[in-house]
Amino acid sequence: MNDLTDASIQALQLLLSGDAEVWNIISVSFTVSLKAILIATVPAIAVSFVLAYYAFPGRRFVITLFNTALAIPAVVVGLTLYLLLSRSGPFGDLHLLFTQEAMIIGQIILAFPLLVAMSHASLQSSDQRAWETAITLGASAFMAAVTVIREVRFGLMAAVIAAFGRIIAEVGSSMMVGGNIFNHTRNIPTAIALETSKGSFVEGIALGMVLLTLALLLNFFLTAIQGKAEVIHQ
Amino acid sequence: MTSVIKKVSLNLKRVCFKRGTRTILDNVEFSVSQGELVLMTGQNGSGKSTLLKITAGLLKPQQAQVSFVPHDGQQGSYSWPRLKKLLLRKVCYLHQHPYLFHGTVYDNVAYGLKRQKMSKQEIEQRVVQALQEYSLESLIHRDCYELSGGEKQRVAIVRSWITRPDIILLDEPFSNMDKESRKKSYALIKQMCQQDIAIVLTSHDPLIGELSFDQHVHLYQGKMTHKLV
Repeated sequence: MNDLTDASIQALQLLLSGDAEVWNIISVSFTVSLKAILIATVPAIAVSFVLAYYAFPGRRFVITLFNTALAIPAVVVGLTLYLLLSRSGPFGDLHLLFTQEAMIIGQIILAFPLLVAMSHASLQSSDQRAWETAITLGASAFMAAVTVIREVRFGLMAAVIAAFGRIIAEVGSSMMVGGNIFNHTRNIPTAIALETSKGSFVEGIALGMVLLTLALLLNFFLTAIQGKAEVIHQ
Repeated sequence: MTSVIKKVSLNLKRVCFKRGTRTILDNVEFSVSQGELVLMTGQNGSGKSTLLKITAGLLKPQQAQVSFVPHDGQQGSYSWPRLKKLLLRKVCYLHQHPYLFHGTVYDNVAYGLKRQKMSKQEIEQRVVQALQEYSLESLIHRDCYELSGGEKQRVAIVRSWITRPDIILLDEPFSNMDKESRKKSYALIKQMCQQDIAIVLTSHDPLIGELSFDQHVHLYQGKMTHKLV
């Protein structure tokens, strides 16, 4: 217990001292995950809107596929991407393996099904009258879709936060396609795994603190916006 | 060959609509012209809302012959996708329990005008004027979730009216209103008809006799009968 307390205090000191190595790892983590979530969000919401509002053959099958994809382990995504991006793989010529771009692709693949499933649930339960009202007031199909998305924005924000929480904490995909290269592809989860394997708990705990603080902040934000939504729906 | 006719007219013939094996509308015929006030009655589940939604272009009937001459348009027979587009642009449908978007009364009333690509100043001027005409100006900056049922209904009517459609379809517009609000709504409806907007409304309201209708149509088990007014 004392070891854990001491290590935590040292970790806090390490963070507050502005240690360049630690803050570089944090920076890589946020850069990669923010880019991934920014790229994935708009197409995922568009897909979920189509799934919620348009009938087409195979719609239920597509929904089932996305729901199933939620359960895919990050390491399986990493392994598949590794095989595709490795020199002998079909996309080997792109030289993406062990780059931040490869990590971003992996995180997009992990975030996309979660974004689609949660956004679809929000849009599916949205009020049909919102769409009909927008359309009958002269909105184009695109503007009516934007209006409906705006009406369920709290649910969609929750989806984005949940997806961001998932990808910033995943280790399997980033480790396999990023390679855990210092100053380049080493992010918080891969660094924690490395430091722990070396028996260096202080840096691992410091980085874990950052992840926990992030989770806390995201949940505070989520609770705050959900609280606002409750007031609106009274 | 098409010819320009100024008078708005919408004619629906042989309208059939089924949900699964259940027939909702069976060979219904219905027409409405510029500035007309039409009362549509019928029991719950008789197909009133379905017919209104078809008229607004929100539902596609399994069978129908529809001819529509908008105020600024040309007479002609259109394929359903084109007709739907035209109906959505020229006919405004208001739900029994109207949906107000998140935001203020101003945001809601301005919604349709923003789609017409007006300047911000013009939108503001028209919204204020419309709310004043309907004695709703005190609500302009209120959040819609704070409004009573009757206020929501009146805001929704103004929101439809301000876009100046050719036809407004009101589904049970007085269901949430007290006597005072109803009287104000009757006055607005008369005013809309005077502005050459055709109004079709469904109602169970006994006070509806205060309005003089040009047509009274009754739906019973998906079939329509025309009553004398």
